[in-house]
Amino acid sequence: MTLLEVENLSVTYSPRDSAAVRAVDKVDFGIEEGEFVGLLGESGCGKSTLGHAILRLLEKPAAITGGSITFDGRDITHLDEDELRPLRWADLSTVFQSSMNSLNPVITVREQFADTFAAHPEAAGDRPDVDARAGELLEMVSLGRDVLRRYPHELSGGMKQRVALALALALRPRFVLLDEPTTGLDVVVQRDILDRLRELQRKLGFAVLFISHDLGTVMEMADRVMVMYAGEIVEDQPAGDMIESQLHPYSAGLLGSYADPRDEVVQVAFVPGRPPDLSREHAGCLFEPRCPVSVDACRTEHPELLPAGRGQARCLLVEQSPDDGALLRDVAPTDRLGGVFSADSEPRARGAADTEPVMVVDGVGKTYRTKRGVRTTTTRAVDDVSFALRPGRVSALVGQSGSGKTTIARLITGVERPSSGTIRFKDTRVDTLRRRAMRRYRRHVQLVFQDPFSALNPTRTIAYALGRPLRNHLGMTGEQARQRAAELLETVGLSPAEQYLDKLPGQLSGGQRQRVVIARALAPQPEVIVADEPISMLDVSIRAEIVELLDRLVRERGIAMLYITHDLLSARLLADEVMVLNQGVMVEHGPTLEVIGQARDAYTRRLLAAIPRPGRSRESWPDEPPNEAERVPAGS
Amino acid sequence: MTTPSSTSMTAPAPTGAGDTEGVRVAAIAAGRSNRLPGWFVILWRNGKCRFGLWMLLAFVLVAVFAPVIAPYGPRVDDFGLSEGPTGAHWLGTTARGEDVFSQIVYGARTSLLVGTVAGVLSTIVATAVGLTAGYLQGTVDEVLSFFINLGLVVPVLPLMITLAAYSPVKGLGLIIAVITVTGWAFGARIKRAQIITLRTRDYVTAAKFAGDGTARIIAYEIAPNMMSLIVVGFMGSALGAIGAEAGLAFLGLGDPATTSWGTMLNQASMGGAMTTGQWAWLVAPGIVLALLITAFTLINFGVDALSNPHLRED
Repeated sequence: MTLLEVENLSVTYSPRDSAAVRAVDKVDFGIEEGEFVGLLGESGCGKSTLGHAILRLLEKPAAITGGSITFDGRDITHLDEDELRPLRWADLSTVFQSSMNSLNPVITVREQFADTFAAHPEAAGDRPDVDARAGELLEMVSLGRDVLRRYPHELSGGMKQRVALALALALRPRFVLLDEPTTGLDVVVQRDILDRLRELQRKLGFAVLFISHDLGTVMEMADRVMVMYAGEIVEDQPAGDMIESQLHPYSAGLLGSYADPRDEVVQVAFVPGRPPDLSREHAGCLFEPRCPVSVDACRTEHPELLPAGRGQARCLLVEQSPDDGALLRDVAPTDRLGGVFSADSEPRARGAADTEPVMVVDGVGKTYRTKRGVRTTTTRAVDDVSFALRPGRVSALVGQSGSGKTTIARLITGVERPSSGTIRFKDTRVDTLRRRAMRRYRRHVQLVFQDPFSALNPTRTIAYALGRPLRNHLGMTGEQARQRAAELLETVGLSPAEQYLDKLPGQLSGGQRQRVVIARALAPQPEVIVADEPISMLDVSIRAEIVELLDRLVRERGIAMLYITHDLLSARLLADEVMVLNQGVMVEHGPTLEVIGQARDAYTRRLLAAIPRPGRSRESWPDEPPNEAERVPAGS
Repeated sequence: MTTPSSTSMTAPAPTGAGDTEGVRVAAIAAGRSNRLPGWFVILWRNGKCRFGLWMLLAFVLVAVFAPVIAPYGPRVDDFGLSEGPTGAHWLGTTARGEDVFSQIVYGARTSLLVGTVAGVLSTIVATAVGLTAGYLQGTVDEVLSFFINLGLVVPVLPLMITLAAYSPVKGLGLIIAVITVTGWAFGARIKRAQIITLRTRDYVTAAKFAGDGTARIIAYEIAPNMMSLIVVGFMGSALGAIGAEAGLAFLGLGDPATTSWGTMLNQASMGGAMTTGQWAWLVAPGIVLALLITAFTLINFGVDALSNPHLRED
């Protein structure tokens, strides 16, 4: 029978000083007992709002404005808090998006379990044996029983996430909502946790609604996939069918973001543009402005969610074609996509491998000393690393969290000094620069940050952010700087620039902000750019766009780039050579295809295995130890 | 098959930035013209705070238009001594023959002046010390933190009384100086804590890479992000300053030449207002002082929302 039935559900945000936004619009779906359903969509399409509505966790200014939610035959749309309490966690539980912060920091893991049991005597029994049951739950998520005695700060991010998952399952709920449960974790750790989750779900038989923007992962995990766009469900299909043929052009665009980095020719696609403004009425199909296959009718007629294939789709083209979306199926996949970025096995037409390097890193090491009382511990963050950066070429630096990637970026940019070895920029020794010389040096070496949300000052306009380096490093006047800032925005694809100059960062989307961050790095005309995981915080669907932009800039401007990442697909697309770092030591180094194609290092292989490949079974690496490479912070 | 069409009037961007952008931009542009500062909008939204702001506005108007509102000058003593409330003198006259109502009206000037000036001064000192200590850290921080801690542990009331009593000059300037010296430390401590979390933000690093110097980074990158905290600090010190002025004046440590509610209370109690049945002389300054402090307290409900987004009513 249907466990969760959502009918015609609408959620509206009504902030005080702006127009109401209908974040979820007449959504209709059901989840069967024990079913694993994926909910996909890019940031801001309403998927988290829908999840919160189902759990009845919406807070002002958001409210359910129509429709109903029925759980196990009981209408929970208008239950008050007291009536909801026995249901929550016992029947409906969740793993929060920021589960890092969902554990109480002042009590041990055991007490968190004890609290959960005590709050639900009807589900857990009057005097549950906390140690036995919590221990069992922890073992279920591959953690040792000794974790029970630990405090949350003594656990790594991945371990906290496992504890949160074990807590969610503590009362044997029948429905678990997972809202991007692995965001912010190392990719390999993510993969381990998700694999474990899928196994548990099969074993225990709870139903799951899995919310994610990562289509590849969802397709691998879920039985059925729903795609959400601009507050509406646009496609609902069994996962297997969806891999074969996507009914809606948007799903096709999302699926285009995946490829195997070991292939001879790697091609990824993206959906240009942004979701529509939901505070206004739209006449036609909401996806029409971004749709590569739209027809005239799409502009005026709003499509309904109608049966197609073995699922449902909301698209006029699917509706009109007699044979369930055959019209779409005839179009070649890449034609259906807005933008395509590809890399083949040929060497790239940019800087040659033997040009004079602009930056030479020679035998560099960095040791951190931490004093704790009388004891001094030394940590070797980077050990004897050597490489060179050449104009017009991209070197990718790959490694897991804590492998020393970011330390190398800090050494190159002069934020820190190496303990041994030399770093040379042209004829300058970077490691011995004094303050004033350092400021001059930074004109030549610029940084692209990982998090576009903290890299721009929220109180300063885009024109100001771009104007500062121009005025400081190039000595421009205010008017010249503004003009150049506009040119820079056009360069990074934010056009017309006049629209963006006087905006504050809060008015831009994540992808647009990252473009501004890149424009700011370009402003002083640097020879070297260090990009520290520039796409890891962005939606999967727009990552290829940023990679394409970086590639074009390197090619056109002859910039030498150090690209730090743990995403091998983007490294394959962008980089000429790949360096793999493990615990501060460089373990692999060579041309991209060689390193990725014939990965020798264990970590490189695990990274490869972690890349989702919808439709293909993932290879496992039998020579791998199954445990994740997580370290408990020292001093626990 | 058609190509993606544009819904906006502007040309679509070559690589990406979507067609839906144009309309949004227009909406934002319309909303941005004649915009009040964000912190004021948040204060105004809170019902209690809005009431407090109206009350404060009333006091400000009374202070500004005192010569128009008050029937006599505050120091004019041509009236009968120690009269009770009459039609000519609504709140009676003092033991020296001055009109109490006129003194109340002029007293608003003193209270608001002390509140504003001492509030601004201690906010400036607190911000300068707190930001410098927090941003530079190291030895500078150690030294400045020592003075902040000193300011926090020294008992304020005895220090104020001592300073005011033994100072060779009397006057409003002295009162303001005393209040500033004793009131800046708490704000400095809070601002120092805040800048320590802000100084490691990526945009501060980005400003360094853009070639900005330390002073510019503090003033242009960090300070705007602390605006709500600075406003909170100002409201707190202004309220404290008004109370402190009244307290010092009541204890007889104020400037006898200025008319303030504190000195009125002092004179009323010295002049035996209760024994002569002049309740209005004693009660009126107390009530207006309480009303002004109530106004600030109500505004503080909104100020709380400034520093803690969870308390915002939207």
